[in-house]
Amino acid sequence: MIVIAENINIMSKTIGPAMREKDPKPIQSMAVKLAENGADYLDINIGPARKGGPEMMEFVVKTVQQVVKKPLCLDTMNVEAMEAGLKAHNNQWGAPIINSIMARPERMDALFPLAQKYQSNFIALLYGPEGLPRDANERGELAATLQARTMEAGIPEDRVFYDPVVIPVNSQQQQLLGCTEFMMMLPDMAPESKSTCGLSNVSNGAPENLRDIVNQTYLCILRHYGLKSAILDSLDKRILAIAKDKNPEIDSLIGKVIDREPIDLAKLSKAEVDYVKTARLLQSETLYSDSWLEL
Amino acid sequence: MVDFPKVESNGTIKETTLGSGDKAFTIGGESAYPFHTFEGKMPHAPKLAMEVWDIAPSEWATELNVVFGDVYQDPVAWAKRCVELGADAVMLTLASTDPNGNNAPAAQAVETVKKVSKEIRSPLIVWGVENDAKDGETLRAVAEAIDDRPLVLGPVVEGNYKQVGAGAIGYKHFVVANSPIDINLAKQLNILLGNLGVKDQYVLMDPSVGGLGYGLEYTYSVMERARQAALTQGDDKLQFPLFCNVGKEVWKTKEAKTSEQQEPTWGVAKTRGIAMEAMTTVAFLLSGADLVVIRHPETLKTVRQYLAEMMQ
Repeated sequence: MIVIAENINIMSKTIGPAMREKDPKPIQSMAVKLAENGADYLDINIGPARKGGPEMMEFVVKTVQQVVKKPLCLDTMNVEAMEAGLKAHNNQWGAPIINSIMARPERMDALFPLAQKYQSNFIALLYGPEGLPRDANERGELAATLQARTMEAGIPEDRVFYDPVVIPVNSQQQQLLGCTEFMMMLPDMAPESKSTCGLSNVSNGAPENLRDIVNQTYLCILRHYGLKSAILDSLDKRILAIAKDKNPEIDSLIGKVIDREPIDLAKLSKAEVDYVKTARLLQSETLYSDSWLEL
Repeated sequence: MVDFPKVESNGTIKETTLGSGDKAFTIGGESAYPFHTFEGKMPHAPKLAMEVWDIAPSEWATELNVVFGDVYQDPVAWAKRCVELGADAVMLTLASTDPNGNNAPAAQAVETVKKVSKEIRSPLIVWGVENDAKDGETLRAVAEAIDDRPLVLGPVVEGNYKQVGAGAIGYKHFVVANSPIDINLAKQLNILLGNLGVKDQYVLMDPSVGGLGYGLEYTYSVMERARQAALTQGDDKLQFPLFCNVGKEVWKTKEAKTSEQQEPTWGVAKTRGIAMEAMTTVAFLLSGADLVVIRHPETLKTVRQYLAEMMQ
């Protein structure tokens, strides 16, 4: 899988101040760590960046690419900052990714010209004028809108990463099925395209010590349904191992849950049982509660 | 002959018997969606409780003052009136303990509970003021003071379940587990109560009620989802009877309280609140309520008639 590291983020307690104060050290040491862990792209999330957005984006892009030979994923709502990042980006190791273009007219009008001009990849975020899609079909409609604009702009389909918008399991559990169902529709709709998602949102609000297993399990599930890439916590080495196919046992165990094969829990280790319970939770076979692993 | 599709259930709601003696009743036991007796069992008709306060309410609607105004000062007489009017159970709200109001000490409220408990043989629900800390204190004191009969204590929430739960276990009282219109938090609280040692047949679930026009549909969906998980996913952490405190939510709305002089276009004030209370109650019966608390005797009559026809 293509791994996009989520960790260079203005919300972080170490990275945030470094971005604001233009202090390269913490950003570069994080970037090196993420590359070592196996990330393919580094997401550069500078937030809404209402003030000084372009300067901040340019600084972070150059700072990161000084130490890491990787393409970046530029993450901001500020269109000028996005363009500054695209301009500053060194394409020697691959084109950058615009994160993201929503299926809203004003966002598409502003960002498609940039994707065209800089020949970048982009994340097509399935978030429409009316907000979050409620099921797979609404996701399909939004994808069709973005697909039409992609064709109009003459951008090849393989530069598009469709993002079904992952939502937290503790609040809208059943809606996660809309993401997996959409993943099954995508190859028919846009066979050349890729897919990605902001994976960690699935565990947002779950107990802090249980977030990793939720993220890891949902990654396996989405991959089973065809996901090609994910934006994820690249400090979690276990999820990197899963993304890079170094943990096939867990993957095949979760595959059994998805295929509803009988599983004898008594024969599994505690860690394996936890993956099975979490997979059942994410497949909506059991109703979410914070204590799901204890049941 | 056409074979109608049926929902197969793989779970059953726990049966809970409230009260003792000839006034005791059992709720729960459903193995089908509400009134879907063609798909499974609904062995017990839902029951109706009426609400009494331990102090005279000053802001209740005129329609309620007309019926109960003369007994507002006497909780025992008020509770007896509810029984005479046909309530299956009485809910005594300890409104005096509200920190935003009289803030009466728990010990004082306990005295009122003792008096009502002595005179009323119907199942007695003792209700707090929806303040976690104060309810924890008051309901714990009530649990310990009434040791000769089982009470139903609530609302028990994540912030005070240990305090109240431990008291309930010790003196064999029932608890009403209250969560803020959220199915996941409802399940979690049931798990926590179970971990504490509260036995299943001592737990009722209160999803929190939104009245008609004030979020009824949110509560309805949570109840519906709870029953789906309980009956079709075999989720034993949700297989509890459902409790709905309808009266309070309906009768605080402006639609239930406003007179015809103030709002001439809103229809007859005398029946407006009652209609809203009956409609809200019926909606929750249809989504799985086993025990509903109401305030007006006309609501009781209307819903009784409805239940008689539905349970045929």
